[in-house]
Amino acid sequence: MSDRVKLNTQPSEITRDGDVWILHFPRLGKEGNHFHTYGQLTPYFKGLTEGKLMATKCVNRGCPISKGKGELWLPPRADCPDCHQPMVWEEVKNLEGYIYAFTYVERGGTGLEIECPYYQVDVKLPGVCTIAKSYLVDRRPIKIGDKVRVKFRKGSEATNTSLDMYFELI
Amino acid sequence: MIEFRPGNLRVPNWTRPVYMVAAGTSDYRKRYPEKKLEELCMMAFRMLLEENNLKLDPLEVKGLINFASYGQFADHFQDQLLCEAKVHDYLGLDMLPNVGVKTGGATGGSTMLVAAQAIASGYADCALALGWERMDEVKTWTGNYYIATAACKDFETRLARNYASYYAPMAKRFQEMYDVDERVRAEIAVKNRGYACSSPFAQQAGKHTVDEVLEGNIVSDPLRFLECCAMSVGSAAALLCSEELAFKLTDKPVRYYGAGGTHTLRTGDRRPMRILLLPNETEKGYKKLYADMEKQDGRWPGFESFGATRFAAYMVYHMAGIENPIEDLDLVETHDAFTISDLQTYGDVGLTLYGEEQNYVKSGDCYLVNPHTGKPGKCPANLSGGLLGTMHAVGATGIWQCDEVFWQLQGKYDQFHGDPKLWERYGKTKPKDWQSLQIKNPKRGLAISHAGVGSHVVCSVLEKA
Repeated sequence: MSDRVKLNTQPSEITRDGDVWILHFPRLGKEGNHFHTYGQLTPYFKGLTEGKLMATKCVNRGCPISKGKGELWLPPRADCPDCHQPMVWEEVKNLEGYIYAFTYVERGGTGLEIECPYYQVDVKLPGVCTIAKSYLVDRRPIKIGDKVRVKFRKGSEATNTSLDMYFELI
Repeated sequence: MIEFRPGNLRVPNWTRPVYMVAAGTSDYRKRYPEKKLEELCMMAFRMLLEENNLKLDPLEVKGLINFASYGQFADHFQDQLLCEAKVHDYLGLDMLPNVGVKTGGATGGSTMLVAAQAIASGYADCALALGWERMDEVKTWTGNYYIATAACKDFETRLARNYASYYAPMAKRFQEMYDVDERVRAEIAVKNRGYACSSPFAQQAGKHTVDEVLEGNIVSDPLRFLECCAMSVGSAAALLCSEELAFKLTDKPVRYYGAGGTHTLRTGDRRPMRILLLPNETEKGYKKLYADMEKQDGRWPGFESFGATRFAAYMVYHMAGIENPIEDLDLVETHDAFTISDLQTYGDVGLTLYGEEQNYVKSGDCYLVNPHTGKPGKCPANLSGGLLGTMHAVGATGIWQCDEVFWQLQGKYDQFHGDPKLWERYGKTKPKDWQSLQIKNPKRGLAISHAGVGSHVVCSVLEKA
């Protein structure tokens, strides 16, 4: 067993419709593809493939929660759940956070694209109001509080899915 | 939502009372090739009509039904949309109105709630709630994936395709925050699987030890095999009525109250809130907890608690006049899909304070007989065997939990669990060391129907009329 986690998947095909990416998801073989849109969240998925972590925030001063100074959302949302106004995109610059919760997945389900066993991690990043779920590339023992850094599967490595963001121990 | 606005905490005010008069269930198995799904539903329906000592002939009772509510979690498993229509026809209930209900793992509870609302509103005088799941058409690993598609497809499902891995981080976090001993989780598995030994319906009854649980293979760290429920096939049913009809049908009707709550299924998106207080709690009582949370970067409900369970409990306690759950409730059925979900829930429903969950389990009050004192436990949990020991045929689960509470309140545990003929019906022999788990004269019970990581919860209070 290697000390680095590998994926056992192929890049998902994407159809482009204007600015929007539509993901091909082969539920029943190629003929049974689902064509699942990333809609307004396309900049997030596209950003990962370019090595950028894009998040959204609410800048509506009338929002009862953000009051115009919202923290970042990861996963992003196009619309603020508190005031329903469109949020704005911002690149997350500080890519270092800590492990808030985790599990060592020893058994997955059919079609799992990450080689078991591996750590699924929930990471607290500074300035982000949510806790981002992803996977850790390292296999060595970890604990809550360990520092991690965001990494990307870019260019030819990209899967065009949320698997393109992962974490690495610092 | 991270702040409640004035309308959000309005307590449901049903226009007339709702009663439960009969319950039915099939047995539960990992694979059930002997029967088609509709045939399993008929087993539950017949038990409901024929074996609950109702004062009218079964077909006369059937003739009183005006509405049916059906629960099925996932269309994927049978690759059959609108299975409700097939079941409804098979039970001979055409042309009555029916609705299908889907709220993940809480589907059974929501199916009860929809039937109850039909009675409470006057739409119906007699409503059937019936639910099922058939999870044996695919291999377990594919079943894992189907269930995991209840998580967020864009950001979560691709990360494991196994639901245990969404509860496991909650277990890790809960363990860290409250310094939980793994043996407490294991004890829950031992208790519930042990109680299942008294149930003819049970799929995975077993006498295990704490060490055996902890030595088992890990599914998703820290959860071991015996800490996870299995996939099931089976069906459960309940009959709800107006007050007038309830007393015509039985001398032992049970009052039904139900309420729901929800929380985003992406656990990490659960932004911090102030704890929604139950009637027996105060802000002051949580001063230390808030301070501890600050130290450990904890949040409520966060990963440690189920906000939807707390919300549903808040509502149903106000509906049923429950002021102090540990004193006012005589039994509870928790959604122990995993040991951790059982443990976390004791704080959410106020049987103990948040942060005290493991001490509550250690106290022995969740047992029929407190193992430390030999006296009756204050609020036995999952005498049915729970999901760990008996079943999790998802669409049936929340209904079956109410069935088990209902029979306890009627004093009929032995009738529905101890009759050797019932064991034979399912191809089993009643164990020689069978033990009755009937509670002495219980008045009120709580059933908690819960969807993945607490994304959807229905709390039902049943009360002896």
